[in-house]
Amino acid sequence: MNWDWIRGNVGAIAAATVDHVVLTSIAVAVGFVLSLGFALLIHRDRRFYGPISGLTGVLYTIPSLALFALLVPITGLSLLTAEIGLVSYTLLILTRHIVAGLDGVPDEIVESADGMGFSASQRLVQVDLPLSMPLIVAGLRIATVTTIGLVMITALIGEGGLGNLMLRGFNFRNYTAVYVGAIVTVGLAVVADLAIVAIGRVGTPWTRRR
Amino acid sequence: MTGATIQFEHVSKRYDLRAKGASSAVTDLSLSVPAGKICVLVGPSGCGKTTSLKMVNRLIEPTSGRILVGGEDTASKDVTELRRGIGYVIQQTGLFPHQTIGENVAVVPKLLGWPAIRRRERAEELLSLVGLDPARYRDRYPQQLSGGERQRVGVARALAASPPIMLMDEPFGAVDPIVRDRLQDEFLGLQEDLAMTILFVTHDIDEAIKMGDLVAVMQAGGNLAQFGPPDEILAAPADAFVARFVGADRGLKRLSLTVVGDVPLQSPVTARPGDDAAQARRRVIADPFPFLLMVDDANRPLGWVRPEDIPTAGTLTGDLAVGSSPLLDRRATLKDALSLLLDADVQAGIAVDRQRSVLGLVTADMIAERMRDGAHVVPDESYPLESPEP
Repeated sequence: MNWDWIRGNVGAIAAATVDHVVLTSIAVAVGFVLSLGFALLIHRDRRFYGPISGLTGVLYTIPSLALFALLVPITGLSLLTAEIGLVSYTLLILTRHIVAGLDGVPDEIVESADGMGFSASQRLVQVDLPLSMPLIVAGLRIATVTTIGLVMITALIGEGGLGNLMLRGFNFRNYTAVYVGAIVTVGLAVVADLAIVAIGRVGTPWTRRR
Repeated sequence: MTGATIQFEHVSKRYDLRAKGASSAVTDLSLSVPAGKICVLVGPSGCGKTTSLKMVNRLIEPTSGRILVGGEDTASKDVTELRRGIGYVIQQTGLFPHQTIGENVAVVPKLLGWPAIRRRERAEELLSLVGLDPARYRDRYPQQLSGGERQRVGVARALAASPPIMLMDEPFGAVDPIVRDRLQDEFLGLQEDLAMTILFVTHDIDEAIKMGDLVAVMQAGGNLAQFGPPDEILAAPADAFVARFVGADRGLKRLSLTVVGDVPLQSPVTARPGDDAAQARRRVIADPFPFLLMVDDANRPLGWVRPEDIPTAGTLTGDLAVGSSPLLDRRATLKDALSLLLDADVQAGIAVDRQRSVLGLVTADMIAERMRDGAHVVPDESYPLESPEP
């Protein structure tokens, strides 16, 4: 470990970390919005399940390097290219979790909500989505941690956050930069995971009292 | 709050046999529930009773026919508006696990846009009404409550917006028999004040008899087999299906519909300590029920005296009274009265009022005779529920 290098590059490390967080946040946020749309389509009409599941499944199985290689000729070496790739990988996980959450709302809850005169949108917002929270939170945890790892790969197309730090470390045989990049990334993943768990707990007080 | 009538006019629900779905068909159902009455739909599974219930709040749409609530065709109303005006209680309660008890009770008021303070007050009022201390229960979650408590909350929630009609689908089906019995009694007590029109579904004929002002017995295929007051169903089943469904003990079941205060009581010969013995003796020997009932100054029973034990001269004393009879509260059912009488030494029960004053005698023979008499008057609101205090 070259502590002098670390001391001299605190600003760069911090900037790379912020980049990493921003890349991850955009990917998870956009991925969540798209997945929520997909999940609601599927929940309303099961016929959408096959096509959406197929599409997100295929995206998920494309190796990340190959996906970026395919995208670069179209969208160039850009943030957009990175985010298209990152978002693609969140869709399968998030869509499946949200659908499972909505499907898991017990029939008698749905029946009593309908019977008391909830409109479809009132029921979705006040009943179905809150009750899906535990599964949605589980999906967000997996998607976020996965995305934090994948952001590293986007270093190859000029983005990458902490991945960029590591890539340059490899190229210049500066192993301190490699270690710092790896350790901070792992730390970031752990912190993000714990933060989502904490938010999930605050958002679902009923699951804790027995 | 007063009820509205519920009328089914030639209502049918047919299902495509290939379609999935757990609901049963209903065939040409016509019946009318007067305002303020409880009508129980009862029958074996697959008889379409729940389907019929759910057609009222349009969770299931009829294939043909009309359902009128308060004279208005339900099909002509906005579906969410219709449902907000109908209380709905189901067996599994359907309480929202993510909301506190207070929030659960105030669900419909919230949908109706009541301000938060009024919702909160209403929730507390209703929790008290169903016997749950608001301070203790308001902020709990449903899974922290017992099954019986959850059912009470379910009833409170259905009452929240004071609906004129209420639909109850096996509301007490998921709790143990003792709790069920108590919930039934409490609900009947509430209904005396609220006088809603209630459609109540159960598969349990005993519950139907207990809860219903009117009972609709349905059979497979959604056909109405018989519709009438419970006593009529028990006394004169319309066909073999109804007879089998109400059970071989339907005579005994009828006994639980009538209370001691409803039957014409025999007047025993009574005397007080200090009365003239010879005169009492003459009266007893002339009476078809040849026993003397000794009573105190407040007309409370002391015990029986056999005619041969009555002195031929002098006055009566309290220590002559031996043995006693079961004391029957005038609100006790004939079924309970009979079971007490069969156990007792003297097969005559003494009907008493709240002050334990003697009202008259009930004998096992009288009860049996009353049951043989199929054409006797069905108790209804024209008959005083409380016999006058002496």
